[in-house]
Amino acid sequence: MSADLSLSAGRLKLRGPVMAASGTFGYGTEVPLLERRALAGMVSKGIFLRPRTGTAPPRIAETPSGMLNAIGLQGPGVDALIRDYAPQWASWDFPVLVNINGESAQEYGELAARLDGVPGVAGLEINISCPNVEQGGLYFGNDPRAAAAVTEAVRHRTNLPVWVKLTPMVSDIAVIARAVEGAGADALCAINTFVGMSIDLNAYRPRLSFRTGGLSGPAIRPLAVHLAHQAARAVKIPVIGIGGITTAADALEFLVAGCSAVQVGTATFVNPHAIAEVSAGIAAFLDLRGLASLAELPRYLPRD
Amino acid sequence: MFVVDATIAGRRSVARGMFVISLDAPEIAAAARAGQFVNLGWSPGPLLRRPFSVYRAEGGLVEVVLKEVGAGTTQLLALREGDRLSCLGPLGRGFDFAGSPRSVALVSGGLGVAPMPLAARQAASMGLRVTWVHGARSADDLCSEWLGDEVVWATDDGSRGVSGTAVEATPEADLVLACGPNRMLAAVARRWPDAQVAVETYMGCGTGVCLGCAVPLRSGGYDRACTEGPVYRAGAVDWETLPPHLPYAATA
Repeated sequence: MSADLSLSAGRLKLRGPVMAASGTFGYGTEVPLLERRALAGMVSKGIFLRPRTGTAPPRIAETPSGMLNAIGLQGPGVDALIRDYAPQWASWDFPVLVNINGESAQEYGELAARLDGVPGVAGLEINISCPNVEQGGLYFGNDPRAAAAVTEAVRHRTNLPVWVKLTPMVSDIAVIARAVEGAGADALCAINTFVGMSIDLNAYRPRLSFRTGGLSGPAIRPLAVHLAHQAARAVKIPVIGIGGITTAADALEFLVAGCSAVQVGTATFVNPHAIAEVSAGIAAFLDLRGLASLAELPRYLPRD
Repeated sequence: MFVVDATIAGRRSVARGMFVISLDAPEIAAAARAGQFVNLGWSPGPLLRRPFSVYRAEGGLVEVVLKEVGAGTTQLLALREGDRLSCLGPLGRGFDFAGSPRSVALVSGGLGVAPMPLAARQAASMGLRVTWVHGARSADDLCSEWLGDEVVWATDDGSRGVSGTAVEATPEADLVLACGPNRMLAAVARRWPDAQVAVETYMGCGTGVCLGCAVPLRSGGYDRACTEGPVYRAGAVDWETLPPHLPYAATA
């Protein structure tokens, strides 16, 4: 007896609740087929209209139970993504969303238009929360009007499902969540990394060349569960929980706290089988508790 | 690429503070080529795995060489024979012996000796004449193990072999393979732009997805030490931008 893990996240049907988070799974093509079998879905590395070289090294620094990264959204640009990766995604048996980034609402809209109708692209995840770019990124994520404007700009240029990835660097995530829902988002992803800094005591300067970086990993998990829960309470659209998930129990915390699905990120760096193990662990938990499907999992979600 | 739950089969000292650890990981030992690396994780331990060049790979054992440089290596060196750790590998692109060279100089500084025994084995099996050049600060810091037809020692203080750097002490050869501090590799690049060098970077996943191990290229942009590297043509790397040292945590 194995529990039914399938679900609907807005208009997207997923075969399970565990997806690969943007920036932690490349374009999926780097990863052996074996590792892709357990995926319910994948979000590609963040893309801009044009190619970007990314930041100078050092780009990562380990911290207690976590890591800081400032990759700077290195990538080949949307034309290369459409040419080189989307055709491969079209043959895969799970949806691939593209994480899109711009320096203006207009650029986000342009990206949405370019990706609309491309075979292999199942949806868009608007990144209004990257801490590692000079222009855009976080700015759009911590102002409700800017967040709504970007979401609308994308919504008007595509029929694809539009997910919006929120930053934790806000005073009230519910305000941003409602603004983005009102602008037509199909789902929210909560959360992106926290902005952090670590100092090299030999060089008397930051360990990252970008000075600051995004903090991920188990260190942020309780913060992320709380923020994803707050977002889920504030809106009616699905919320995808993200932040430090390493085990099935971690993922179940987000699901019980009101999330429809989860994304696993940093854990994949440590354990290439992380997503498969989290997914199998959720199924085992449901079986153990006598729950026939994910839909039967009790949720703690008092409405605001 | 394999993920192996490996038992520590042994440990030996090869220089002052420098140890070789043997891991029982037959799949990885059989597949590893010189210049490739393994990414080690253990629990309880730090979050991220730690990358190490494969030092030797035979009889089902994968060997790595290390010194205590931070919290991770301190924990690794505290593990005992019989303890288990997770070994991911072999990873990266190793040395390229194409072009029918007849001689090879293996040039290493300090811990840069790491990929050289396997390189020497591979070169010897192809019939190359192998010159082993190894430098360190002082005689006690030189790795005691070497392989090849000829050996050249170099020490900063002149306590053994040539007084000076390994790069200065290296005789000409058809093929130069080097590993050591990035500053040393920059000197290799000035003398032999076509040498192959194994670079050291801070690393996240080791499998090509995190883009954390960026190596700046003279042709512009970055690629990944874990995937396109860690072995590069010396002249292809932008040595001005590649950090000369890893930002290891200072020990109080």
